[in-house]
Amino acid sequence: MPENNSSNNNNNTQKEETKNNKDSSKPIPKNKKNEKKEETLSPEDEKLKNDLELMVTRTKDENSEIVLAALESLKTEIKSSTSSMTSVPKPLKFLRLHYNTLVETYSTTPEGKSKRILSDILSVLAMANGNDERDTLKYKLLGSGEAIAAWGHEYVRHLATEIGVEYDIRKEENQSVEDLLKLVDEIIPFQMTHNAEPEACDLLLEVEQLSKIFNFIDENNYPRVCLYLFNCSYYVPGPDDINILKICVDIYIKMKQYPDALRIAMKIGDSELITSIFKLAENNKSVLQQLGFLAARQKIVPENFDIEPIADIINNTKLGEFFLNLATDLDVREPKLPEDIFQSHLDSTTVTVDSARINLASSFVNAFVNAGFGKDKLMTSEEDTKWWFKNRDLGVLSTVASTGMIVLWDIDGGLTKIDKFLCSQEKHCSNGALMAIGMLNCGIRSDMDPALALLAEHVNGASTQTRISAIYGLGLAYAGTHRQDLMSLLSPCLDDEKEKMEFIGIVALSLGLIFIGSCDPELSTLFVQTLIQRGSQANESHARFLHLGLGLLYLGKQDAAELALETLKAIEGKAGEYARLTVEACAYAGTGNVLKVQNMLHFCSDGTENPHHGLAVLSIALIAMGEDLGSDMCLRSFDHLLQKGNIHIKRAIPLALGLISPSNPRIAIMDILSKLSHDNDPEVAQGAILSLGLIGAGTNNARIGGMLRALAVFYSKDVHLFFVRIAQGLLHMGKGTMTINPYHMDRSLMSPVSVGGLLTLLHAALDIKNILSTQSHYLFFSLVCSMYPRMLMTLDEDLNPLPVSVRVGTSVDTVGLAGKPKTITGFQTHTTPVLLGFNERAELATDDYIALTNILEGIVILKPNPNASSTSPIVTSKNKK
Amino acid sequence: MGNNQSSDPNKRGDGQNKDQPKYQPPPPPTQFGKKKKRRGAETASKLPSITPHTKCKLKQLKLERVKDYLLMEQEFLQNYDLNQPKVDEDSKEVSDEKTIEEIRGDPLTVGSLEEIIDDNHAIVSSTVGPEHYVRIMSFVDKSKLFLGATVLLHNKTLSIVGVIDGEVDPMVNVMKVEKAPTESYSDIGGLETQVQEMKEAIELPLTHPELYEEIGIKPPKGVILYGEPGTGKTLLAKAVANQTSATFLRVVGSELIQKYLGDGPKLVRELFRVAEECAPSIVFIDEIDAVGTKRYDSHSGGEREIQRTMLELLNQLDGFDARTDVKVIMATNRIETLDPALIRPGRIDRKIEFPLPDIKTKRRIFEIHTSKMNLSEDVNLEEFVMSKDDLSGADIKAICTESGLLALRERRMRVTHTDFKKAKEKVLYRKTQGAPEGLYM
Repeated sequence: MPENNSSNNNNNTQKEETKNNKDSSKPIPKNKKNEKKEETLSPEDEKLKNDLELMVTRTKDENSEIVLAALESLKTEIKSSTSSMTSVPKPLKFLRLHYNTLVETYSTTPEGKSKRILSDILSVLAMANGNDERDTLKYKLLGSGEAIAAWGHEYVRHLATEIGVEYDIRKEENQSVEDLLKLVDEIIPFQMTHNAEPEACDLLLEVEQLSKIFNFIDENNYPRVCLYLFNCSYYVPGPDDINILKICVDIYIKMKQYPDALRIAMKIGDSELITSIFKLAENNKSVLQQLGFLAARQKIVPENFDIEPIADIINNTKLGEFFLNLATDLDVREPKLPEDIFQSHLDSTTVTVDSARINLASSFVNAFVNAGFGKDKLMTSEEDTKWWFKNRDLGVLSTVASTGMIVLWDIDGGLTKIDKFLCSQEKHCSNGALMAIGMLNCGIRSDMDPALALLAEHVNGASTQTRISAIYGLGLAYAGTHRQDLMSLLSPCLDDEKEKMEFIGIVALSLGLIFIGSCDPELSTLFVQTLIQRGSQANESHARFLHLGLGLLYLGKQDAAELALETLKAIEGKAGEYARLTVEACAYAGTGNVLKVQNMLHFCSDGTENPHHGLAVLSIALIAMGEDLGSDMCLRSFDHLLQKGNIHIKRAIPLALGLISPSNPRIAIMDILSKLSHDNDPEVAQGAILSLGLIGAGTNNARIGGMLRALAVFYSKDVHLFFVRIAQGLLHMGKGTMTINPYHMDRSLMSPVSVGGLLTLLHAALDIKNILSTQSHYLFFSLVCSMYPRMLMTLDEDLNPLPVSVRVGTSVDTVGLAGKPKTITGFQTHTTPVLLGFNERAELATDDYIALTNILEGIVILKPNPNASSTSPIVTSKNKK
Repeated sequence: MGNNQSSDPNKRGDGQNKDQPKYQPPPPPTQFGKKKKRRGAETASKLPSITPHTKCKLKQLKLERVKDYLLMEQEFLQNYDLNQPKVDEDSKEVSDEKTIEEIRGDPLTVGSLEEIIDDNHAIVSSTVGPEHYVRIMSFVDKSKLFLGATVLLHNKTLSIVGVIDGEVDPMVNVMKVEKAPTESYSDIGGLETQVQEMKEAIELPLTHPELYEEIGIKPPKGVILYGEPGTGKTLLAKAVANQTSATFLRVVGSELIQKYLGDGPKLVRELFRVAEECAPSIVFIDEIDAVGTKRYDSHSGGEREIQRTMLELLNQLDGFDARTDVKVIMATNRIETLDPALIRPGRIDRKIEFPLPDIKTKRRIFEIHTSKMNLSEDVNLEEFVMSKDDLSGADIKAICTESGLLALRERRMRVTHTDFKKAKEKVLYRKTQGAPEGLYM
């Protein structure tokens, strides 16, 4: 503050003065000190100061008329002062000295108008006085109740702060807060009309009256309010976050922004709310269809709602068609051989041996690369290359199953291609076909239920392997559907005493996937019982899928898992520990709950060599993912864990990194993984290589590609090569058109099924030696649940593709920014359909069309803009080209 | 970073070595130099930036979340050390340190890195002797090695065993203002609007960036102060330096002109690099006309070098890398000769003029300067204040000093009115020297 400074300086000069005077041995004129004080003021200030002083003395006058006049003029003086940003307004500065006098006057003034006006003035002065007494509020409440805006923005802000503090104190002492709330009602409209929406929200959050904001919403401020509230909800402890989100939904519904409302309702996971939004949009066909596309992406179906008009959309029937449309547009339909991906002819190494393992890897790569295209050169081509003969035993199973991924989402065309394998005499071949059937149905609903029809008879088949294939296939096909008939079909299998843990694990996993996030108590008890019955077997490696299945039931359901956690305490030993960690992590997946992260970190730092430390590390990533701040801070924690932690922690860290940013090749993570991929411990290295594939999945990232090619040369003789190949396949998944990131809708919404798929693979990778690199490599196919084209496709109102130009660029965080800030930066203009990267956003380049949803992602319906300006500059420039 | 264990030689048996292909692609090159600093683990350990700059609950919540994570990290590190079985870990670390200590040897020599040959070898020159081709020990952090760095050398083999950090170009180091000047805002007579503009453009963006975000504008990058000589441009800059807690770098334009080709631009780059490292910081370039004059076709190499220095300055002011926490103040008394590119908005957003003082200001300046003097009763400063002569702030100071000197000459302890009168005449005579008064009238 400048005035402080000047007074300091005066002291300095006075000191120097004394020194000078001593030197010259002259007497100091006493009055000089006072003179100096006066000198620092310019004449105008001097006058103002004197005027103010006069007014202050007048307020003590006997005559009430004079008092009133003095107060009025004080008021105008304060109001008329224009303040600069850098200093306190002059009248306030001068009046500060007289604050206490005025307070005294106030206590002696008789009740009446003048007292109230004085109170108002004191309220303003208290702001400049800056003490902790909350005098501003005190005198405001005692004052005349004049319009709050009269004293300016700064005053309102100050008042709002004090209200927040006072409210907390009164709540604690159980006092009435009526008067405060009245004041709040006055402040909110002022703030809402003066572009201070965040402040209004803050104040209402402080006084727990957020619903009041509803009355001040209009079409100009609702996006900012909702964006702000939505972002707050990440960091507010429950159950407030749900309340905030519900208010967002209400606001969106009020403004008729049904797609946005649905997005947030899906985040809450409230099925009644979802149904009600669908019902609201029932009469508007296009909007209803758009809602359908959103629900289909999340793989949910509104309950108690007649989906007949949009059944095609909700059932994802046309997903394959849309994807092929995108592929045609990008000119990538030509099938690719694994060799095209490996490009091993570029490395001047010796010719790779045709080992069974490498052939198996090639099958996986072939599946990932050609996923969804319905055409490849190994499995489905016209001239039968008999590729699967080159594999042995279980290799055949996975190779044949890979056909399912190639014909993904295409029920009619796909089944015929799998048919030939189904009738094969070779046991593994027909088993693979079962898995393939399940896979191709993943995320697609159909009235005919081909997967169930074909697989049901094999669930109780002769060999264990057949049963596993059929059940795993069912799990993939009906992930997230919560279908009761499947429960009655599959749950008896858990009681099968004869079967080994692998079988039990897969059954539980499939059930978990199907009933993901359902909190089904029946299944939960069944799982726990099985866990107890199996006793020592529950320590086997494959038992982790039983635990995971249990965890998936509670995915993202937070407190709902408490009961299950309590029951699990009954199970002693390592098995119970694994189950508890898994359930806890799954329940809080993507919430960023700091307490749970802390629990996991505590567990990691107990100083023992516990193999479950790895699981805890993975859990940290699972809890923190989906929210930028948490995942960034997690990276820091992982840094410490990597330096300090034991081998189990070290093995899990690459996997956790893979989970934290799938399909999002961040350079920082890439660097760490690249370092770990050369680690001496084979499991660390293999995990890191796999994770390199995960973070680059479907991006064709050249940098990761280069790393993987170098690794392929480096590890040309090791088991590692298998993982390098798979990672290469993941990197080029769908020829660079897919994502496995569970977050969609501008990274705001987590798809549980997608998380389930990722988690299955990562849990398997926790014991990479016994599960993924030996028998159960078919678990790689669980990623099929997470795969989705990372596209933006625009349709007209009749659902025909409609190419328009859109700008695609890196998204910018615009929360709480003034005006209409740009939402993307560094954009390029493309014509739809177009690919979107993880951190990218799209917006329409012209105003010829209006999108039915504000977030351009996935499939979007456009309608013509009646107010389009035909001379939009972008259009003209386009035409020139 | 780069020097990790890329493979374990023991793991591959000797028998396998024969099968090794003749050619193995070289491992990725080790990164030398400073660029590496910006990537990798360094970025991972940096705290994420919090986006809404405005003061709001969301920001508070986000900051609290970051704090929570940091607390957890701290707790983890403490717990882990506590729970760790002490024996093996400690001894291993100690023995490692001992080994390194042994390799490093004692005493150490200091040298400077002249050339990096490959990952493990370099040419160094020690302060006394000739240059040597030496090994770089594997435990030396390669990312800190750059040409010209000061390195520690083994006393016998002269191999590089360490790097001394924190080296900044000594030229730039001198520019840092370590001791704040004593002048403060209250020593400035008048110039209220200028002070305010300066505060808005320089101080507020560093202390309260959120104010600008609320309005939705980018804070100004810098200001240029211009006006007649002696009107207080440098004084104001000094006051800013006195007031701020930010790093204050001051340069005179002429310092940027160097003997060797390319040294000037390099110095400018270095200057801004240091400014960014010490951010928030304020760079004050006095007498900018030394380098910033308009460009014209010139055949002299020196001229062109000066122009290149200015071009570098242009780039640093508004180049490709956005700097937010570096503010630039320039001062000149010949703004009309400056290159228009230098003072365009975006580089220098505010031009603050320093006019000759008006009567009110003159009075104030007189008051400031005479406040420490012993004046006799008869001194009437109003006479000088009201005079029609063009007096700048510096002139007034000169008058006061001169009058004091006159009084001293006569061994008086008080300065009289006549002293002031004589002093004024003297000062004004000196000022108009060369062009006698009234010649062209």
